[in-house]
Amino acid sequence: MSQSSWTNTKGINLEKSSNKSWQFVVAAVLLVAAVVFVVFNAFNSTGGTQLYVTVDEYLAQESTLSGRDLRVTGWVVGDSIEYTQIDAENSRLEFDIVDDLANPTNRLHIVAFNEPKPDLLQHEAQALVEGQADGNGVFMANKDGLLLKCPTRYEGEQPVIES
Amino acid sequence: MLAEFGQSAIWCALLAAIYSIAAAGFSVYRQKTDQISGQKWLSSARNAALITFPLLLIACAIMVMALITDDYSIAYVQQVTSRETPLVLKITSLWGGQQGSLLLWSLLLSGFLGVAWITKWNEKSLMPYALIIGGFTQVFFTYLIAFPENPFEAAPFLAANGSGLSPLLRHPLMIIHPPMLYLGYTGFIVPYAFAMGALMTGRLDDGWIRTTRRWTLAAWLFLSLGLILGGRWAYDVLGWGGYWEWDPVENVAFLPWLTGTAFLHSVMIQEKRGMFKVWNVVLILITYLLVIYGTLIVRTGLLSSVHAFAQSDIQWVFFGFMVFMLLFSAGWAIYRAPALASNNHLGSLLSRESAFLINNFVIMAITLIIFFFTNFTLLSELFTGQEYGVGPQQYNLATGPLFALLLLLMGVAPLTMWYRTSINHLGRLSLWPAAVATLLVIGIVIAGITQIGALIGLWIVFFSTGLTTLEYVRAARARRRSKDESWPTALGQLFVRNQRRYGGYLIHLGVLVMAFGIIGSEFFQADRQIFLQSGQRASLRDYTIEFVQADFYMENDVQVAQATVNVYDEDGSFITTLFPHTDIFGNGEGMTIPDARSTIAEDFYVILVNWEGVQRNAATLRMYINPLINWLWAGGVVFMIGTLIAAWPDPLDMKIAEAERRRVAVLAAGD
Repeated sequence: MSQSSWTNTKGINLEKSSNKSWQFVVAAVLLVAAVVFVVFNAFNSTGGTQLYVTVDEYLAQESTLSGRDLRVTGWVVGDSIEYTQIDAENSRLEFDIVDDLANPTNRLHIVAFNEPKPDLLQHEAQALVEGQADGNGVFMANKDGLLLKCPTRYEGEQPVIES
Repeated sequence: MLAEFGQSAIWCALLAAIYSIAAAGFSVYRQKTDQISGQKWLSSARNAALITFPLLLIACAIMVMALITDDYSIAYVQQVTSRETPLVLKITSLWGGQQGSLLLWSLLLSGFLGVAWITKWNEKSLMPYALIIGGFTQVFFTYLIAFPENPFEAAPFLAANGSGLSPLLRHPLMIIHPPMLYLGYTGFIVPYAFAMGALMTGRLDDGWIRTTRRWTLAAWLFLSLGLILGGRWAYDVLGWGGYWEWDPVENVAFLPWLTGTAFLHSVMIQEKRGMFKVWNVVLILITYLLVIYGTLIVRTGLLSSVHAFAQSDIQWVFFGFMVFMLLFSAGWAIYRAPALASNNHLGSLLSRESAFLINNFVIMAITLIIFFFTNFTLLSELFTGQEYGVGPQQYNLATGPLFALLLLLMGVAPLTMWYRTSINHLGRLSLWPAAVATLLVIGIVIAGITQIGALIGLWIVFFSTGLTTLEYVRAARARRRSKDESWPTALGQLFVRNQRRYGGYLIHLGVLVMAFGIIGSEFFQADRQIFLQSGQRASLRDYTIEFVQADFYMENDVQVAQATVNVYDEDGSFITTLFPHTDIFGNGEGMTIPDARSTIAEDFYVILVNWEGVQRNAATLRMYINPLINWLWAGGVVFMIGTLIAAWPDPLDMKIAEAERRRVAVLAAGD
């Protein structure tokens, strides 16, 4: 039975079947429409696309950005990391991120509730934090919203500061 | 001293690779007037290309020696290792950093190309062009390690000890994951070189496909293995209970895998029907460019990523090389397009060739979406001046339905015939699998699961699995009837007689099993984080944990904080004890190691949160339930076995190749 799928159907008339090219047009249109739909659906879904900003960019337009879902990138200031167990069900993880570790005056305070402290969360690590500003200078991380990159010293390079 | 020697080996390899290109080019020129002289130049070009492998091997050996002997006069050794690093990790830190990774990349490339130059030497007309194209890529990567990313660069100051390998990379899976990816990446350069050879010579028959089919499968196998191992590493080490985050570095390894998959399918139409010749060339060109693009992204840190440790200035060199190769390849493809006309055209929408066409369309749509999403930050900055990114949720929403369509095709396409298939034929064959899949899904709904996406996904998985299984059953039954074989013999003979086909179906089954695991873990994962005192309990779904105590001890240079956690089932009966722990390395870096109770139904996965706050009688723990996750890994194993069967050298093919070699030898003697 299965071997039959390898044998050619005899007496096929290619001229006749080429009249069915409308089938291909319909199939192609449907497929393209489906692809366009899934992409638009993804962009219109909750979350949609996320604005990426640095700490300084964020601080410069804090009032307009408050309440929006954002991703802020910065370098972790090691001695600001603090983990507090509030009660059995709740914990709070806090740390500051800056754009320039050599001149850490413009700091953004990050707070994450009920997140484990990531292994890579340490001085000089690059943090990508997804969340929202609460309007009081605190940036609240989303659930699973903490992404940490290895400190660049593994590669022997100084942190590169984005403009 | 050692460093200078390694450095010289790389420079010699670079010179040999440059010479090889020049000699191959000259051989084409000489061939026109003086064939013997042309052949000599071609041999010379090949020999020069072959010598790059031992030279780069020497460079690697010297680097390994420097790593083992703690030669901290070399900057790279300072960065990736330390005196306390165990021997095995000292050796594997050869690819623990940027420069070493590129060195290994170049070595593997020269090895792959070398084997191709030896085994495909009878492809005399394609050879000079393949040598030039392969050689050009070799020169580029060897140039990188010879100058901008020199692994033997002297350290700016002499340190007594190194910084040590990142703890995250000390995992056994991380040791084999990068070489597998590099093998996959570099392996695709061989079919590309021969495809370009075919374009440049105008020898556009199936020759280059036959020559490189097994290479493509091997490269694809390594890339698949690299991807699966990477996912498993993330699951075991990163402690988020996940295996795929749609991170740029993951995506760029997945992209050439996708186009490689499309290529492996569409070449079958060219072999059977002489169609899609342009498309096949284009697919392998795209795959090659995606390999270079992937290396560019990972090695230059161009896109923000959890993995991109590298930040470097080579991005413009890389970018220039990629654009040049793109223009060069595209130019030749366009120039030769008229000669690549199909021998046939598509008959019916319900045919094997149409099924392959739809398969290719869907795979390319997924590739395009992932590429577009991955580069969305760059694109948005270019057009709006602000960076916008796309999250995992968007990737899942956009690609999920298309992956589902691919899974459906996986089941249905093998039922179709070349030229055309009748609806009745398809309906008859899919009736039972459809009925069984529907019953199973109804059972799942009754069990209380109502997420529509998951139900559709599960129905497709059951349906396609049923269809694929029936393919084996029908074929084996036919053999039993005609040859009077037992079931196991008949099934075994299927793989022997048509390894490409039945190995291929096994790959499909592996993917379907993986999809089952992905649906389970994506839709039904649960987690809970809680602070417990000794003796206290907490539950997640049917599991209850009891925190017993935490222990602290030293193991070599590693300080371990380990929790003892008893696990009970819903009736309160003891199941097992888990020991999640955190390892704190000499340099202060921590690494969270989960412990899990794995069953075929789910993983119950516990991590010890925040080791600094851990006391002997109190700790914060996080529990995860990852339903069906082990099907993902099991499916991966089936997938690998299928690929091995499909790629295994076919005795018949080897006989044909041997006959061809003899024929060429006789012809050459006749000249």
